[in-house]
Amino acid sequence: MNVVREVLEELWSMFVGDRRLTLLTLMVVVIAAAVSLLAKATTVAAVLIFVGAVAVLADAVFQAARKARG
Amino acid sequence: MLDWPTAAPAVTAAFVASTVEVTEAFTIVLAVASVRGWRPALTGALAGLVLLAIVVAALGPVLNLVPLNALQIVVGVLLLLFGLGWLRKAVLRAAGLMALHDEDAIYQREAARIHGDTKSGAAADGVAAMASFQAVLLEGLEVVFIVLAVGAPRAGRPSLMLPASLGALAAFIVVMAVGLLIRKPLALVPENTLKFGVGVMLSAFGVFWTSEGIRAPWPGDDWALFGLAAAFLIVALALVALARPRKAVLAS
Repeated sequence: MNVVREVLEELWSMFVGDRRLTLLTLMVVVIAAAVSLLAKATTVAAVLIFVGAVAVLADAVFQAARKARG
Repeated sequence: MLDWPTAAPAVTAAFVASTVEVTEAFTIVLAVASVRGWRPALTGALAGLVLLAIVVAALGPVLNLVPLNALQIVVGVLLLLFGLGWLRKAVLRAAGLMALHDEDAIYQREAARIHGDTKSGAAADGVAAMASFQAVLLEGLEVVFIVLAVGAPRAGRPSLMLPASLGALAAFIVVMAVGLLIRKPLALVPENTLKFGVGVMLSAFGVFWTSEGIRAPWPGDDWALFGLAAAFLIVALALVALARPRKAVLAS
């Protein structure tokens, strides 16, 4: 049971290890999907996912850097 | 018929990512073998591989039942989460804000842990085999996910599952051959550099798949993957420079 729990915990942390990163990424995808499907602006939506992903990454790095520096 | 720009990123991403994962699993199996011998180490590893094969065999038919767009969105978002998470850690390690992954240290720690856990012969072999099993299963599941993610089918295109699987298999063979030859933890594998590269590629795949899933394909089709990877690389390198502590910048 211990092994199963550890395996499941590890799998969970693979994708949801950083909750803020996960939530922001999902928000970016939802907004881009809305732009693509409702406004039919497909190129804008594609660029939005990339720009959003970069912003999420930068946010995660700077937040971790601030924590590391105390 | 697969063409090079389509297959190359899948093969490369699967090979490099799998090299990292197989190296991590090998380190723990080797630590188990050094404490309790090869029998429990290989028994655990083999059991892990069998369970992995069952998971893959079960997942394959399920994937064919999922609508393509839904599959692309799920795989794309998971890839984004996995890739951005990996890239975040690699950037922090490169900036000196997080300890580097050290296979020698992991080997020593695992060997000490198994040694400390084990008291009598049969129970000791069981604990050792379980450690080996867990390492192979966990790292193997990550390899399976990466292969599924980079090889997922696309509308009107051949599946990249075969080239991605070949990339992972090549990594397994290379790491096993080198590892069994030197019988030491593969500390010389530049893990953070590889993880940096894999994070870049997985993030690029994640953006690409998610875009396709929401019916917002990139101009340039598959070639856009190269542009996305280059853009993520530039951003990640810039983040390393920006996140690096000022003292470290002055010292270097």
